[in-house]
Amino acid sequence: MTAAPATTAPSRPAATDRPHRTDGVTGRRRRRALTGWLFAAPFTVLFAVFMAVPVVASLAMSFTDLRSTDLRNPWSVDVVGLDNYVRLFSDALFRRAAVNTLVFVVVGVPLTIVAGLAAATALNSALVRFRAAFRVGFYLPVVTSIVAIAVVWRFLLDPEAGLVNNLLRVVGIDGPNWLGDSSLALPSITVMAAWRNFGFLMVIFLAGLQAVPADLYEAARIDGAGRWAQFRHVTLPMLRPTLLFGAVVTGIGYLQLFEEPFVMTRGGPLSSTLSVSYHIYNQFGFGNYGYAAAASYVLFVGIVALSALQFRLLRSSE
Amino acid sequence: MRRQRRLWLAAAAAVLALAGCGRDAGGGQDGARSVGDGKATGEITVWAMGTEGEKLAEFAKAFTTENPDAKVTVTAVPWDAAHQKIASAIAGKQTPDISMIGTTWMGEFAKTGAFDPTPLNFVDKSAFFSGAWDTTVVDGTSYGVPWYVETRLIYYRKDLAQRAGITAAPQTWDELKTFAKALKEKAGAQSGLYLQPGGTGSWQSFLPFAWSNGAELTAGKDFSIDTPEMTEALTYYQSFFAENLSVKNDLGLQGALEQSFISGKVGAFVSGPWHVGLLTEQGGPGFADKFAVAPMPRKKTATSFIGGSDLAVFKDAKNRDAAWKFIAWLSKPEVQVKWYQAVKDLPAVQKGWDDSTLKDDPFLATFGLQLKDAKSPPPMATWEQVASVIDGQVERVAKAGENPATAVKTMQQQASSVGTGG
Repeated sequence: MTAAPATTAPSRPAATDRPHRTDGVTGRRRRRALTGWLFAAPFTVLFAVFMAVPVVASLAMSFTDLRSTDLRNPWSVDVVGLDNYVRLFSDALFRRAAVNTLVFVVVGVPLTIVAGLAAATALNSALVRFRAAFRVGFYLPVVTSIVAIAVVWRFLLDPEAGLVNNLLRVVGIDGPNWLGDSSLALPSITVMAAWRNFGFLMVIFLAGLQAVPADLYEAARIDGAGRWAQFRHVTLPMLRPTLLFGAVVTGIGYLQLFEEPFVMTRGGPLSSTLSVSYHIYNQFGFGNYGYAAAASYVLFVGIVALSALQFRLLRSSE
Repeated sequence: MRRQRRLWLAAAAAVLALAGCGRDAGGGQDGARSVGDGKATGEITVWAMGTEGEKLAEFAKAFTTENPDAKVTVTAVPWDAAHQKIASAIAGKQTPDISMIGTTWMGEFAKTGAFDPTPLNFVDKSAFFSGAWDTTVVDGTSYGVPWYVETRLIYYRKDLAQRAGITAAPQTWDELKTFAKALKEKAGAQSGLYLQPGGTGSWQSFLPFAWSNGAELTAGKDFSIDTPEMTEALTYYQSFFAENLSVKNDLGLQGALEQSFISGKVGAFVSGPWHVGLLTEQGGPGFADKFAVAPMPRKKTATSFIGGSDLAVFKDAKNRDAAWKFIAWLSKPEVQVKWYQAVKDLPAVQKGWDDSTLKDDPFLATFGLQLKDAKSPPPMATWEQVASVIDGQVERVAKAGENPATAVKTMQQQASSVGTGG
């Protein structure tokens, strides 16, 4: 770059105007760069070996027809270009999984945020006693193993012996088979996921609420704002960055829905709880490595797109 | 600009590397090498899953007493991790000498070329149940030896059958239907005969009916699912759900099958040998007298499903000859009986069943009888995926009332697009 042809940079001053680089300066710079790289080497090497190489390899894999039967000779696979991606979108099961996942995210994320915000606001107000107990109670599902939760919820939702249907029976309603009905399984799982995850958002929102200066509320009250108006015009705008964070984190997590259907419904009944991650898991299990890698990249693009959308929607106005 | 050039270079290198790929057109037929004479020597490394993995090391001591220069090292692998671990071992060419392989995985792993073909002059093929032996044969070459087997029978409540006025177990499809109806209507069972309504593994419940009706999954390298026989079998399977003789919930998934059978909600169901132990244990004292097993009912044949595990030797084995000698020892009838006594695995060797331990047990004797007419799906590299296609359509037929003819067409079309991996 030192001897760039003048034609490419006509507006620049001539090369001779620049200070001359002596060998000493270059040498010192090189040495400094070398030291820098040496310091960064442990991370760089680890990152390259354990992150960059697998990521690049999996991307390359998604353009081949690599299957589990090619394990001994992975270089003997055929390059199929975008074939995997084209097949993916004509795969009825993948489209079903994509729709299921989208429904889960579109319903689940707002539900979780509203529940988390409601819990945080309630706990932040002076009205609630035993605040610590509630805080622990709401947070408990977040740190409990999903397997334990799934087992308990399967008992709760059992069509005959389950608590939910027994309660419904008390008021005279014959409860449905929550997880066995193909139109109710996904909603059931959505509600369960919201219940499980809102505690995390509650903690984040609580921190956000406590950072809102009290004098803003005082000013609002003097201006005659009621409780709702205070919430609407003070709390929500001040909480915007926190809400954005919550929405992005929850959205990323929910797009990767896997554990709940895996332990509770095995993707059924009739594929109604099959998620994109679950589909990818199945494809890897079937040994279709190339195809599964392609599906993973589609999911990755989906996550990036959703996050970008959320940033755009919740960006503060200034 | 320099950065850009570097990027282009990297891209070009990647393209070149990929261009170097490409499959070989023809796969050469594997020839089996023979095994040397004499006693086994050196270390034999074995991977085994589940109970087999836990108990084999202790069990193999009898082998090392016979072959003092040999040493058997067993690694217990959990079932969940086994497929991945074997796949990684093959990719890294760091395999043990022997691994236990689930019968339905044989097609996939044999296709990688990782297994040593069975030396047929060393292992006697006719000693095994033919259905079990077939699970080792991929494209005409055998790549292992059946270790133990299991098959599916009809479990039913004797006391309920008696109450419903039935004296003999059903022997034909029509009798099975009448039997299920009687258990429901006269003995108060919610499900006269519970059949798996789709979900993982429901092909194991459905295919015995298809095979008994003369249907086959493949003809040569192509799928032959779309036949009148298959449709008829699926229609019969569906009728149990349509006539409310079986609930449409997957009781196995909810872990409710055993309790439903014990409480009498389920009058009969189809399952493998492990349920004898489970039911005796969970049913409490005296329950063992309340149920019995019956062979699959006859249509054209009375075929059931045969499962279990095979033992395969890897091409990258360090101690191949000794590995085959160890497998030959495990296949001896008397060793198979001892293995049954140790872990309750049913012998894959027919002579093992002549022993009184197995012959005199009424439950086991029926399993032994059924094993003579039991089949497995043809080994293929894509089996797991084809199985999930069948599971999916069985579910549609059972739960959503899909027309069986349409379901069979969809199975054929989806399975063909998956291919046999050949």
